[in-house]
Amino acid sequence: MNRKIMSGVGLAAVASLALTGCGGQDEPAAVDGPVTLTLAGWDFASTPEFQTLADAYHEANPDVTVELKEYPAGDDYDTALTADLAAGAAPDVFIVKNLKNYVTFTEGGTLLDISDVAAELDPATGGLAPMEVDGATYAVPYRQDSWLLYYNKELFEKAGVDLPDGSWTWDDYAEAAAELTEGIGEKQVTGTYLHSWQSTVQGFALAQSGAPLDGGDFSFLAPYYERALAMQDEGSQPSYATVTTNELAYQAQFGTQKAAMLPMGSWYIGTLVAEQESGAADTFEWGIAPIPQADESTTGTDATPVTFGDPTTMGINSGIDESKIETAKDFLAFAAGPEGAAALAGIGITPALIDDAVADTVFGLDGVPQDDLSRFAYTTHETLPENPVGPTTAAIQTILGEAHSAIMSESTPVDEALAEAEERVVNEVG
Amino acid sequence: MATPVAQEQRTLGLTEPGRPPLRAPRTSLKLRNALIGWTFILPNFLGFAVLTLTPVITLFYISLTSWNIFGAAQWVGLDNFARLIGDKSFHTALGNTFYYAVVHIPVTIVVSLGLALLLNQKLRGAAFFRTVAFFPYITSIVAVAVVWNMLFSPEYGPINQFLSLLVEGDLPGWTVSKDWAMPAVIIVGTWKDMGYYMLLFLAGLQTVPGELHEAARIDGANTWQRFWNVTLPCLRPTMFFVTVMVTIQSFKVFDLILVMTDGGPGQATLVLSQYIYQKGFEQFEFGYASAVAVVLFLICILVTVVQFLYNKRKEA
Repeated sequence: MNRKIMSGVGLAAVASLALTGCGGQDEPAAVDGPVTLTLAGWDFASTPEFQTLADAYHEANPDVTVELKEYPAGDDYDTALTADLAAGAAPDVFIVKNLKNYVTFTEGGTLLDISDVAAELDPATGGLAPMEVDGATYAVPYRQDSWLLYYNKELFEKAGVDLPDGSWTWDDYAEAAAELTEGIGEKQVTGTYLHSWQSTVQGFALAQSGAPLDGGDFSFLAPYYERALAMQDEGSQPSYATVTTNELAYQAQFGTQKAAMLPMGSWYIGTLVAEQESGAADTFEWGIAPIPQADESTTGTDATPVTFGDPTTMGINSGIDESKIETAKDFLAFAAGPEGAAALAGIGITPALIDDAVADTVFGLDGVPQDDLSRFAYTTHETLPENPVGPTTAAIQTILGEAHSAIMSESTPVDEALAEAEERVVNEVG
Repeated sequence: MATPVAQEQRTLGLTEPGRPPLRAPRTSLKLRNALIGWTFILPNFLGFAVLTLTPVITLFYISLTSWNIFGAAQWVGLDNFARLIGDKSFHTALGNTFYYAVVHIPVTIVVSLGLALLLNQKLRGAAFFRTVAFFPYITSIVAVAVVWNMLFSPEYGPINQFLSLLVEGDLPGWTVSKDWAMPAVIIVGTWKDMGYYMLLFLAGLQTVPGELHEAARIDGANTWQRFWNVTLPCLRPTMFFVTVMVTIQSFKVFDLILVMTDGGPGQATLVLSQYIYQKGFEQFEFGYASAVAVVLFLICILVTVVQFLYNKRKEA
């Protein structure tokens, strides 16, 4: 029986070798001759970035073909990819989609150490530094969205409120939202829209307060929650209850002029342009401003505003065929470098490396606002991760996510919910 | 029985003379019958063995390890179970699961039995209303959750707008209130499941002999007495099946909660199966998640065994 299985495995191995045209005798690290790299991604129909990078790389290196392997979108990507990694069936290069799972992947030994690739990248590459774990880097960011403030110029004018000028703190923002709601004076239109995600409150609090996520003290979240609750009580934004029970979509709220402002990630630039073109969104003039700041020390166009955003990173499967490692590293350096950035910017995606060429490409697209503040907001920011790399991040975020729904639904007072979350971290995470 | 067959075979010249052909055909026939039987259940059993039995057995092993899906599992003995004792989230999930089950089981049984009795009458359009009651069961859970969430919306939802006509003062916040989220989920769960169990009860009602009702009526029993002393005892096998199914289903509730409230607000509707999912697939603590799954498995099996024993005692 055993012998039968073994011979079966042997046969399969021989067959696969014959099929892929690889001989066992080839010297490793040989890059001459055609090489095929496989790359994991998700939902290719609506996420063209993988094909774009693959095509751009193939054009620069005709010998190398990057073959895509499609995984399910959403949270299923991690689940399906994890299963494949555990089974040793994952592609050569894969995207680390959610930063909070990065530690699981590195600790599981599924990612190759690519510190040499990281060392050669431009230090200005967004989100590169936080990827270092114990002196080694296992994935490099090729894309990094940052959170910005979108605003509808026409609604501002209608309400007679001054446009954002880059000097706003959160209190200025709350004040403007209240004035807008009143000034517009339409029942279903609010000054701003805060989506139901925990990051819409916690991401900013974490980045701007500078407090550690795993410090065991969540009091840094309190002022941000107090403000958000006050704003929904005043009616400056739809309440959390309305957002969740009616499944409101931020694209529809801002795109059909139900909200004059929207804090959202930079990915929405491409979406909004496309939706205005297709008619899914109304046609109106809009702009981007830096996200409001905790205090005045980081406001104004001569300072660097602090915001948050997780980089999307790419790593090499530790189970990759040895002869392909150099090619894979070269592909990563390409994707995270200026050439990859240019290719991504061409399809409206925010690369991790934002240089002048990238900004020119993005602001050269039809429908993207042309004012100086929009360009400043897009190019200048200190973007800190929403999920700092750490072994306890995933568990802490679950606890904070539950605190978020308890607070925003006004089921539990802010202090009580945060104290409970602190207690749970001690109890469950240790 | 074999002797006449052998006799016949011998007379027909089917077997060689001089050999005792008595035992061989009998065992081979038995074996053949067994093989045929196995062949029939094999496709089903193979699926069960590969997709259910093996994972369940593996689960017990994994619950004794600290496996994070990559690499080999580290044996930690009963550490995971010791951790469960002090884990407050687990306690909350356990409490919520029992809350859901204890309310959902009787309510579903009563409502579906009531519907079945109602639609068992010779009613104009009974078939139509049976379909109506069954419809929620075959509707996509995601669509159900979205629509009910809108109905439950505290500010704009029709349910609260209707309630505001009847009662003064504060109205329930339903899915966004810590106290009302679970009742809201139970209402939707009951509404969704009632059609299926109604169908089972309807089938059961067809087996209640008409003569018994007739005899009871002659003896002067009123409708309530006839229901209590004739219908219900005759429905016992159906009732038993429904109770077992609805119990297991209640303890395993997952998708409805995930899409309606995602366990929130806070942990108000966090149930065991969702906690397993959270620990396993979101935080990659598969060992610990498996330990929770083992607890859920033991609860289900314990409740089912008790029900079987009770049913057996009633039967005797």
